[in-house]
Amino acid sequence: MVVDGLDLDVPAGEIVGLIGANGAGKTTTVECIQGLRKPDSGQLRVLGLDPVTQAEQLRPLVGSQLQHSALPDRLRVAEALDLFSTRRARDGGELLEQFGLTERRRSVFSSLSGGERQRLFLVLALLNRPRLVILDELTQGLDPAARRDVWAAIRQLNGEGTTVLLVTHEMDEAEALCSQVVVMRAGQILDAGAPADLVRRHASTAVVRFSMADPPAALLDQVRQLDGVQEVEQAGTRITVRGHRRIIAYVGAVLVCWEPVPADLSVHVPSLEDALLGLLDGAHGAAAEVMPDNKELVGGRR
Amino acid sequence: MNTAVGRLVRAELRLMTRDPLVLTFVFAFPIVTMLIIGGAFGTTPDRAFEFTNPSHWYVASYLTVVIAATGLVMLPVHLASYRERGVLRRFAAAGFPRWSFAIAQLIVGLTTTAVACALLLAVAAPVYGVPAVHDGWRVAAALLLGAIAFVSIGVLLGSVLPSARAAQAVGLLIFFPSFLLGAGGPPPHVMGSVVKQVAGPLPLTLLTNAVREPWLGLGPATGSLIAVAAMALAASVIAARRTVL
Repeated sequence: MVVDGLDLDVPAGEIVGLIGANGAGKTTTVECIQGLRKPDSGQLRVLGLDPVTQAEQLRPLVGSQLQHSALPDRLRVAEALDLFSTRRARDGGELLEQFGLTERRRSVFSSLSGGERQRLFLVLALLNRPRLVILDELTQGLDPAARRDVWAAIRQLNGEGTTVLLVTHEMDEAEALCSQVVVMRAGQILDAGAPADLVRRHASTAVVRFSMADPPAALLDQVRQLDGVQEVEQAGTRITVRGHRRIIAYVGAVLVCWEPVPADLSVHVPSLEDALLGLLDGAHGAAAEVMPDNKELVGGRR
Repeated sequence: MNTAVGRLVRAELRLMTRDPLVLTFVFAFPIVTMLIIGGAFGTTPDRAFEFTNPSHWYVASYLTVVIAATGLVMLPVHLASYRERGVLRRFAAAGFPRWSFAIAQLIVGLTTTAVACALLLAVAAPVYGVPAVHDGWRVAAALLLGAIAFVSIGVLLGSVLPSARAAQAVGLLIFFPSFLLGAGGPPPHVMGSVVKQVAGPLPLTLLTNAVREPWLGLGPATGSLIAVAAMALAASVIAARRTVL
C-alpha cells in the first residue's frame, strides 16, 4: 500500500506544500486528487467533488503539472495552447509573455529546453483559470533565475485566490512559497504546519562556528553559560557551539568583546530541510508516529 | 469545434502530417509498391488474376494496404508512444474525457485512410488507370468496415503494448506477412496450397477480397464482407472497452 490512512486538508486560497523522501507517496496522493488513480478506500473530495466519479466536472477546475509527462514531440507551443484551451481559458498569449515563451510560440515541444518545457507546463496548468493548481516537482531542472520567475508567478496566482498544492523536493522552495507544509513518509503524514512551526518543532538547534588560535578558557566558559547553549565543542582551533537559535546573537555578542574577533564566524540557522531530516530520522523504525491530530483532506473550499 | 474531441482531432491531424512514420508507411509505401508491383505483371488480362488487368487488380487491392498500414503500424506506435511518454496522462489530467482520445484516434485514423486512399488513386489514375467499380456500395461498405476494424485493432494494440518499440515490432510483424499474403503480394492463384490456406483467413485477405471482388466484378464476396463486418464490430467494442486515457 503506497498511501495509508492519509487525512489532510488543503485550505482554499493557500499554497500547501507536500514534502517527504522519495517513495513517501506524494505523487500517488496527487494522482488520487487528480482522479488519475482510484483510492482503494476512504473518502476524497476536491473542491467538493469526487475526483473519480465526478472527474468530468472536476478536471476543468484543476490545473495540473505532472511529474512524469510530456506533450507530443511535434506539437508547437501555440498549438498546445489551442489543444488545452477550454471555454474558461484566459489569453494564452499573455501567459506565454509572462513566462518568457512568446518567442517560442512556433517551436515544437521536442526543441524546448527542460526549463522551457516546465514553463510551458505551468502555462498549460494556468490556462483555464483553475481554482486549484497542482504542481508536482515544478522547478526541477530550472536555472535559478527561471525558478525565481516561476515562484513569482505562483505567488501572483495565489494572490488572485487560486489554491496551490505544491509537491517538491526543494525545501527552500517550500519555505519560500508555502503557508502550510505537509510532511509525508511511507504513505502517512508525519506532521503538518507552517514551515516556521515545523522548524521550531523539529529543528530548533542552531550551530555557530568560529576559529581562534588559542581560545581563552574564560571565553569558552562564558559561551557555555549563555542562555540556550547546549554544547560547546573544540577541535583544535575550531569551536562549534550548538543550541537554541537565540545563541547566534548571544555568541556574537560575546565574541565582539574579545580581541581579536574571529574572521570566520559562520552560523547555521535551522531550516525546513533540517526539520524534514529530523522528522524522517525520528520516524525511522516500526513505531513511526503518525500525527496524532490528523487533519482532514483536500478541499480548496472557499 | 472547441469540444475535447474536436481539439484532439485538430491537433492529431496536424501531427500526422509531421510524422515520418505516417508519411512513409501510410502515404508513400502503398503508392510506391503499387506502382512497382502493378507494373511488374503488365496490363494484359491474365488467368492468375482471374482474367483481369493485373495493374487494375493491384490498384483495387492497394487501398486495403493503406488501411492496414494505418491500423497495424501508424496507430499502435503512436498510441504506445503517447502512453509511454506520459502524454495520455497529461490529457487525462487536463480534463479530456476518458473516451475522447479513442474517438479522436478513430476519426484521425479514418481521415488519414481516406486521404491516403484518395492520393493512391490519384497517382494510379494516370499510370494504370482506375478500374471501373462494378458494385460501389459493397466496395464502399467493405472499405468503411475494414477501416473501422483495422483502426480499432490499431487502437487496441497501442493500448496493450508496453512501449512504442514493442508496438513497432509487433505492428510490422503483423503488417508485412498480411501485406504479402493478403493484398500486395502474388495473387492467390499462384500461391501454393499451404500458403493459400494460411493467407485465406487473414483479416487483410478477407478485407481485400471484400473490396477487390465487387470492384472488379469478380463476385459479391459476401462471406468476406460479413467477416469484415464482424471484425469491425468485435475490434471496435474491445478497443472501446480497453482504451482509456
